[in-house]
Amino acid sequence: MFFHYIDLSWRSFKRTPLITILMVSAIAIGIGVTMTSLSVYHMMSMDPMPHKSDKVHAVQLNTRDEGSTWWTEDDLPQQITYQDAVNLYRANVPAVKTPSFRTGYSIHFDDDSIKPFIENIRVTGLPFFEIFDVQFVEGQPWTQEQEDNAEMVTVISRELSEKLFGKESAVGKQVYYDEHLFRVIGVFDNFNHHIKYYDLTNGHFNSHERAFIPFSLTVPLEINNWGNTNGWKYQDIRTFEDKLQSEQHWVQFWSQLDNPQEFQAYQEYLTNYLIEQEEKGRFEREAPSFGTRDLTDYLDYMGVVTEDNRVLVAMSFMFLSVCLANILGLLLGKFLKRVPEVGVRRALGASKRDVFAQHVVEVSMLGLLGGLLGIALAQLGLWGVRTTYSYYSELATMDLTMLFSAPIIAISACILAGLFPAYLVCKTNPAICLKTQ
Amino acid sequence: MLQMKNISKVYQTEKVQTHALRDFDLNVDEGEFIAVTGPSGSGKTTFLNIAGMLESFTAGQYMLDGVDVGSLSDNARADLRNQKIGFIFQGFNLIPDLNLFENVEVPLRYRGIKSSERKERVMHCLEQVGLASRIKHLPQQLSGGQQQRVAIARALAGEPRFLLADEPTGNLDSLMARQVMELLEQINRDGATIIMVTHDPELARRAPRNIQIVDGQIADFTLYQKPTAVPVASVAGA
Amino acid sequence: MLEIKPIFNSLFRSKAGAILLVLQIAITLAIVSNSLSIIKDRMDYLQTDSGYSEQDLFQISTSVFAKDTDLLYLLEETERTLLGMNGVVNASFMREVPLSGSGSSSNFGNKPLDQNESEDYRSVNTAYTTTPASIFDTLDMTLIEGRFYTDSEVLKFNGDGGDLPTQVVVSKHYLDEIYPDGDGLGQFIYIGNSPIEIIGVVERAMGPWPKSNRPLNFAFFPIVDATGSQKFVVRTEPDMREQVMNEVEEVLLAQFNQRVIMNIQGLDDAKREYQASDILMLRMLVILIVLLVSITALGIFGMTVFNINKRTKQIGTRRALGARKSHIIRYFLVENSILCISGMVLGAIGAIYLGQMLFEHYSVPAFSAMYVVYTAIFVLIISLLSVLFPANRAANISPSIATRSV
Repeated sequence: MFFHYIDLSWRSFKRTPLITILMVSAIAIGIGVTMTSLSVYHMMSMDPMPHKSDKVHAVQLNTRDEGSTWWTEDDLPQQITYQDAVNLYRANVPAVKTPSFRTGYSIHFDDDSIKPFIENIRVTGLPFFEIFDVQFVEGQPWTQEQEDNAEMVTVISRELSEKLFGKESAVGKQVYYDEHLFRVIGVFDNFNHHIKYYDLTNGHFNSHERAFIPFSLTVPLEINNWGNTNGWKYQDIRTFEDKLQSEQHWVQFWSQLDNPQEFQAYQEYLTNYLIEQEEKGRFEREAPSFGTRDLTDYLDYMGVVTEDNRVLVAMSFMFLSVCLANILGLLLGKFLKRVPEVGVRRALGASKRDVFAQHVVEVSMLGLLGGLLGIALAQLGLWGVRTTYSYYSELATMDLTMLFSAPIIAISACILAGLFPAYLVCKTNPAICLKTQ
Repeated sequence: MLQMKNISKVYQTEKVQTHALRDFDLNVDEGEFIAVTGPSGSGKTTFLNIAGMLESFTAGQYMLDGVDVGSLSDNARADLRNQKIGFIFQGFNLIPDLNLFENVEVPLRYRGIKSSERKERVMHCLEQVGLASRIKHLPQQLSGGQQQRVAIARALAGEPRFLLADEPTGNLDSLMARQVMELLEQINRDGATIIMVTHDPELARRAPRNIQIVDGQIADFTLYQKPTAVPVASVAGA
Repeated sequence: MLEIKPIFNSLFRSKAGAILLVLQIAITLAIVSNSLSIIKDRMDYLQTDSGYSEQDLFQISTSVFAKDTDLLYLLEETERTLLGMNGVVNASFMREVPLSGSGSSSNFGNKPLDQNESEDYRSVNTAYTTTPASIFDTLDMTLIEGRFYTDSEVLKFNGDGGDLPTQVVVSKHYLDEIYPDGDGLGQFIYIGNSPIEIIGVVERAMGPWPKSNRPLNFAFFPIVDATGSQKFVVRTEPDMREQVMNEVEEVLLAQFNQRVIMNIQGLDDAKREYQASDILMLRMLVILIVLLVSITALGIFGMTVFNINKRTKQIGTRRALGARKSHIIRYFLVENSILCISGMVLGAIGAIYLGQMLFEHYSVPAFSAMYVVYTAIFVLIISLLSVLFPANRAANISPSIATRSV
């Protein structure tokens, strides 16, 4: 029976080709537009670490005077000062925690073997690799001892390793970062998530750093951060030492808290820490204020999904609703014109359910056709997005979820639009249409 | 009132030429009541369409009330239809979206008559056909006979001098058919010229003058009778 | 003669189709008018004049990795090398490059910090850069008051920071904000308690962030502090930029090769890259509007065709009863206008509501009712045009349809 209905639908399409083309294009354009903005939304709002995003927390401290404002919704700066980062890193609380910031060096071998190039480099603590599940394909991260001794060691990504050493093993090799000679002790698998979730302060979708060095090198190498440095009060900062002691915010801090007890303990620790710091006279606040958002909340808080995209998604769904109203109107006309024919079918023994099923199959076919065409249009749209804004090249793509959602949304939308006309057709008393005409 | 001379109508399809009317001649005087009969496909409807200026003709001359119809523009024909001709169709052709009042009002609106006068005339016509109490009803809420009476009211609303009826009783049972016929006779007595196409020999016999069309030509003139008074049952009581 | 009342009645009796069309028009109006408002806002932003002839300027960054280099000497030598290139008009070190999206900004007071309790204390944010005296020629700036600083007034350091500046050249926009009374020239702005004299005012200079809320606040300090990473802005003769940009890396490495040359980019391209997300939004909205209006027009077209097919007989009847062709066309135009206007009333309410929602939750401009008016006129025209064609077809229906019996 199902195939019979498909056959009937096909005949119906052929009988009114113009209206069919109109309806399929309407749904295709609706789906195309919606899927274009929704795909970007989907990629922007993706959870980068679904298995532990509720355990990883971004630590924010308000070490500013009461009344200082910042652009975040709760006036908390996204980064903390160097001194706080050191204190929190050393704190004796049950948590896996690490400071981290971005810097950069020219990478070279002090000879002509490769052309020197600039590379972004992350300065962080050993726990970073545990918190963010960094997988090593060769060697391992530096040890706690190496970090404590501020040894000149580095780990690099597989991609960078291939670029520097080809197929040879990178572990044990030496490489210059500017004038500093580093030893490679590990190679990690490339980060392959489009959101740079462990550092949202310098572009949410920037490329991931391909080299890491220990946080303890910050002082001996006088490492300057590449990224935002935010002050809130006037301080005369001239030397690197001044900067380390200053109230400028430039270090990110992450803590992994595995259970509610740890979370609770960490909250208490931060409260006490801020009270203690205030007593030292660094700032004046009525009550300690800090943030420990988990990763998902933090991505949202940082506006990883752009406002423009939210506006577009909302508008595309309204657009889709216009397409639906359009189709509904056309279906209404088309189905009602068919009432006499349905009357004959009913008289010949078709049940209401048969008639209903026939029409639902017909609208589903429309949805399927429109959905498939819509995917093609969305690909075109996403190509347009990538061309306009190369920064979105990783985002403006359809993954499998989106690819399957498109026809499903299209079919559901069409069925939704077709239900009322189909119901009207079924409701019609067959006797009436047989009598007239 | 109506003169047709050598009127022909040819329908041209890809391969076939169909002569629906050929060298058709007819004179109709003011106040006549003519029944047109003939077998299916003989050209009755084509004749009626041409008479009512619903269709153009291929050759010949057609004078309506002294006006040469062949030379008129589309708009002029529309106006002429509106002012001089009333139509009664076999399928009633009431407009389903409009209620009785609005249906009867349609030709008056095209004539650009003021709202108050329209109302008066519509009510008068509906009273004549005995449906004044149902002005708010939609056509589908009426029986076939009632619908045809509304259609007659609509045809009368413009006070036409010339009434064209196409199988006015074709969709009605015999009782209703008789009532409609009586109504038409009444209208004829009131002064309108009527041409009625019909299949029904009994109805045709009631008309004073009969024309038979066969193969696009007038086949046979029956005896011309002066219009005579026929006893009428209460028209409104139907 | 407009048959408004019967049309109304007839619409009311076939409500579903009419309601759908009204809704479509309403939503279309709401979306299009709001999109137009956003588009207008973005266009204004994208078209803001930076004050530079961007197409003749490009930036370049260098990063020195050699030990024990005299960075200040290298910096000045690099400037001289650039200047020696064929087609280069001028080249200057500039720590923060305009339009590039990366720079520095700070608040400066109109009084020393220790007087910040005073009533007329003002502190205004501006983007700033430290750069040699040649920059004013490189960027081809127009001086409107005072003077530019000279080479001998520039403080030079070799990566060791040091003294605060004592002079500054600011953009007119900044001057007007920190000294609104127009007497800013010769007055001071303060870093903490240290005074800096405003010696010159340029007409227009955009800072590194075109999108900031003060894009045209910019200040130039006479300091050159050479560190390992150095940026330069180069102005070329018209049509020579492409060639200079292609050759510049080789020329600079030939001069000194212990460094990485990167970010060779025209300022217009830098600006376009910075603004890419807004250009994207603009394009998306334009496409959205075009598609939406087409879909709605097609919808109106389709519905009219349907209505006409459904009413073939009644149109024939009307013609038989004396309707002129123009009456039939007018009938459909009036019917459509009634729907369109109801849709617009609903849509205007929707548009203003949507505008408010967007304004509350997102950083879009406040919605002006004028956009509803423009859009409504536009939608009305489009909708009448979409009706015209099928209505014309309807008018050509032969009145003889009326005598046909099925």
